[in-house]
Amino acid sequence: MKRFAALLLCLTVLGGCSKDAAENPAAVPLRVWVGDQADIPWMEQVLREFRAAHPDRSYDIRIGVQNEGDAAKVVLTDVEAAADVFTFADDQLNSLLIGGALMPVTEGADAVRSANTPESVEAATGPDGQLYAYPATADNGYFLFYNSALISPADATTLEGLLDRAAQNGKKVAFPMTNAWYLYSFFRGAGLQMQLREDGVTNRCTWNATDAPIPGVKVLEALLKLAAHPGFVDADSDAFVAGLKDGSIIAGVSGTWNAAVAAQAWGDDYAAAKLPTYQAADQAVQMASFSGFKLVGVNAYSEHVGDAMDLAAFMTAHDAQVDRFRLRRQGPSNIAALSDPQIQAEPAIAAIIAQAPYADVQRVGPKYWDAAAALGKIIVSGNPDNQDLQTLLDNCVAGITAPADQ
Amino acid sequence: MKRRALLPGILHHGLLLILAALWLTPILWLVLTSFGVDEGPNLRTFFPQALTLRHYRELLSSSGSVSSFPAWFTNTLIVAVFTCLLSTVSVLSTAYAMSFLRFRGRKVLMKAAVLLNLFPGFLGMIAVYFILREAGLTNTLAGLVIVYSGGAAVDYLIAKGFFDTVSRSLREAAWLEGANEWIVFRRIILPLARPIVVYTVISSFLYPWMDFVYASIIMSSGIAMDKTVALGLFSLVDKVNRNRYFAQFCAGGVIVSMPISVLFIIMQKFYVEGITGGSVKG
Amino acid sequence: MKRTAATKESFFQAFTRGDAGVKLTALFWGAGCLVRRQTGKGLLLLLEQTVLLLCVLLTLPFLRKLPTLGTVQAERIWDPVARRNVWNDYDNSFLILLFGVICLLLIGLYLLKTLQMVKAARQAEQTAAVGGQLPTLRQDAGRLLHQDFHRTLLFLPVAGVTLVMAIPLLVMILIAFTNYDRSHLVPTNLFTWVGLDNFRLLTSLANSSAFAYAFPRVLGWTLLWAVSATLSCYFGGILMAMLVNHRRTVAKPFWRTCFMVAMAVPQFVSLLLVRNLFADVGIINTLCKQWGVTDWLYRIGAIPTAGVIPFLTHPSWARPMILLINFWVGVPYQMLIATGVLINIPRELTEAARIDGANALQVFRRITLPYILHITGPSLISGMVANVNNFNVIWLLSRDVYVTTDQQLAAAGATEVDLLVTWLYRLTQDQSNYKMASVIGLLVFLVCSALTLVTFSRITGRGREEAFQ
Repeated sequence: MKRFAALLLCLTVLGGCSKDAAENPAAVPLRVWVGDQADIPWMEQVLREFRAAHPDRSYDIRIGVQNEGDAAKVVLTDVEAAADVFTFADDQLNSLLIGGALMPVTEGADAVRSANTPESVEAATGPDGQLYAYPATADNGYFLFYNSALISPADATTLEGLLDRAAQNGKKVAFPMTNAWYLYSFFRGAGLQMQLREDGVTNRCTWNATDAPIPGVKVLEALLKLAAHPGFVDADSDAFVAGLKDGSIIAGVSGTWNAAVAAQAWGDDYAAAKLPTYQAADQAVQMASFSGFKLVGVNAYSEHVGDAMDLAAFMTAHDAQVDRFRLRRQGPSNIAALSDPQIQAEPAIAAIIAQAPYADVQRVGPKYWDAAAALGKIIVSGNPDNQDLQTLLDNCVAGITAPADQ
Repeated sequence: MKRRALLPGILHHGLLLILAALWLTPILWLVLTSFGVDEGPNLRTFFPQALTLRHYRELLSSSGSVSSFPAWFTNTLIVAVFTCLLSTVSVLSTAYAMSFLRFRGRKVLMKAAVLLNLFPGFLGMIAVYFILREAGLTNTLAGLVIVYSGGAAVDYLIAKGFFDTVSRSLREAAWLEGANEWIVFRRIILPLARPIVVYTVISSFLYPWMDFVYASIIMSSGIAMDKTVALGLFSLVDKVNRNRYFAQFCAGGVIVSMPISVLFIIMQKFYVEGITGGSVKG
Repeated sequence: MKRTAATKESFFQAFTRGDAGVKLTALFWGAGCLVRRQTGKGLLLLLEQTVLLLCVLLTLPFLRKLPTLGTVQAERIWDPVARRNVWNDYDNSFLILLFGVICLLLIGLYLLKTLQMVKAARQAEQTAAVGGQLPTLRQDAGRLLHQDFHRTLLFLPVAGVTLVMAIPLLVMILIAFTNYDRSHLVPTNLFTWVGLDNFRLLTSLANSSAFAYAFPRVLGWTLLWAVSATLSCYFGGILMAMLVNHRRTVAKPFWRTCFMVAMAVPQFVSLLLVRNLFADVGIINTLCKQWGVTDWLYRIGAIPTAGVIPFLTHPSWARPMILLINFWVGVPYQMLIATGVLINIPRELTEAARIDGANALQVFRRITLPYILHITGPSLISGMVANVNNFNVIWLLSRDVYVTTDQQLAAAGATEVDLLVTWLYRLTQDQSNYKMASVIGLLVFLVCSALTLVTFSRITGRGREEAFQ
């Protein structure tokens, strides 16, 4: 009976060779991945306009959903079968480049560079200086939300002020301390470095520096103190939303994806601002952040790279970005779109712009996340084993800078 | 006399009541959340403030909604029916062959099945994916059916155990009347083995409703219409969607659970006989 | 197959002693049959041989590259006029490995078949020589429903298992000896053989390897989990079955159904649900806070931070909670099995004991429990194997929720609640670290083998099996 198994396999092989034979040459089949179910109406509208703009070509375009945060993972599992055009968060640019998944922007790169903010262009540029993706939004970073009924703008400039106000009211200030993405904020703000090495995989990290103006230990001490403050709560996005709804959270650090919930919960008192300062080594340290961009990439293995590039360019152009703001409240990276007064008036986008000078483009190797999250968890737990702070930082740095695949 | 019997009876049923409550509370919460007004998990009170059918409507209407639940349901149903057919045939054939027949290579095959079962199931996932891809079967329901039913035969032991308990003399008597093995299998053994057939049918039918690991890699197009129920519901509670779609997720859970519960309750008897018949004497 | 003295000949003897037809069979499978006028069968065999050889030929190019796993790196040239990429004929290491292995198997199968063909041809020759009747094609087909019924029966199962289990597992085992990881993802990059390097990472031979630190800890929890999860559900199920089926119980089917409803909800739904119930901001936490349980627990020092019971987020809470939730999920199933067994207990045994003055506890300890253990004992071991590989419960309950405070575990991408399988899954899904995932997969296999060694002999052991026949 094994001969039949062999036969089956044989058919398998034959099938593999002939699968692309039957294709309608008239319509160009393209698959595009948007990041969220809720993006679909927007994408459908863009597609209508795209078709109208290219009346001479016929397209057969299918829309799929793939969370921007996991896009690289899915694309790299099988690049050859992934969508022709996909949206991803800018931190995955390097993984995608190592996997050879991204087609460099070979047509109209200069136009893309000049139309979008320099930071977003930097985020879409590979180590070799080529542009590898089309910036789609510039709102994927984090900033401060607060309820202006309980917190004055002046209080909102310092973390201590926020925490004290919250504690007085029996409320909380939310910060996702156990999330490595946010923890970066404190260390980078204090001048300590964590960035990707030239190899594109491993990290360089100075969080354990003892000779810096603000040594790592001082930052950690400050964080332990903050985490123990009665007004502090370590809250992930879910907890933040829950806290907004039940009113227990009056300020917190999060991103535009929660802006609608905050606006709904606080109504006219909804306010957003750049991140506050915090006290470390007896000085006020401005919290830094990762800027975040959603990028649209073209699959280098696509059968129709040319058309895919047309589509990617179209869905990240000025009009599409403005539509994206209208329908999804997502902040554009397009300079012209950004100057729209209506967009500038949006508190979340204004906060993003205010935070921009303190934000870094996210270039992080894979070993950062778990190691930093563990440190965050230790901070939130109040250093339960009373470990030496320098040792904690040394371990964390050892984890962050470890070779990538061990 | 009567009072002495009454007290243990009350305690006894009290204990049962507490346990049943423990076991049913989460299910109750599932149902309540699916009818509650909150979109995300209700965190303030156990019982929702108000009841609504909105989540069911949104889940079931394909227009304007994120989910394509009817499509997921149809996909899964198709996959489940074919998986069930192929798996049941595989399992019963293997069990019959291993239990009744003696042939060269039997021991080797049995040992191979034991060995295969010792590896974590999805270790070979990527390889399966590429085999299917080369056959052009990824993102097809046929691909899923192959994955779900292909390996079913290694779980033949329970069915074999059941067959082992069937008397051998029946078979020999049938031979005397000129029946061949096929007729024995079809006309004599299968009817006797009804509990184990039912058991196999139910468990293989259920598998496609529960699996999301294989489904997520094989149906990777990201297109909502291509998903199975498990995959689709799973996508409703990922990081981004949880706060918006948790109630719809619960509604989907309720809808899926209802036919399965009914199936379970009706088939309870067979199920018990099937499992025990097999594992008892196996 | 009818066993005659002739079948005792080895292939070599059959080949040398046989006539031209037998000898020719080694090259052309149908030859022996054609010589003896079994035309139909001969042609079928030839067809089979052609198909098999064709498959070998198709996969042969992959086999040739198997020693290096490919040398031609993918290169892309952008054609600005046609607006598409022109690719070179690049190697895909994974497909080379996959089809190389398949080709090897096919060649092995071909050789094996050839041996059988020659022997069968020789046997036919001898039968014909003594004037025996050779079976017609129709008779041969008829054999498939009787003497060779196992071939008919096992065709589909073996084909399926080979395709979706055996070959994939073989390939993934071989991955453990390559450097297939994030930096060597196909098709853009090639991966290659690295011998035992990956295994060295797991031992102390590699200095300061995070894997060497994480492995024994994850393994320890996996074993602890497997034993306690299996035993708790097993005995929980027995006790619950006894409770439900007690002669005092009114409306037994009702109670049984109550517990089985929990079983009918698909596991991923019920587990994701329970995870939300017990989340740090979940309804149970809210209720505990309202009822003052949280404060009380904080006062007695059972929870590290005020205001939140870290059901699924703190190591000393998460592990017992996961076991408890698994208990909730697993007990109804065990209850069903135990119910079936309990019903089968011969009534006379328990009645006799009771007449002899034994109390309920004694009856349970001396009769019921030994009886159940005797019957379902072997399933304990297979249950443990299943729990070693129990991915759903741990993954669904800890994904995105549990963050470890153990910095070295974190460096290896593991947490305190990870089983070997969930660790393996994270490594492949989150980090594309296929090589280490395969190494861990192999080790899971070793653990399970050790556990199963006991039952192995029971399952295939002759004495026990034949006793019923």
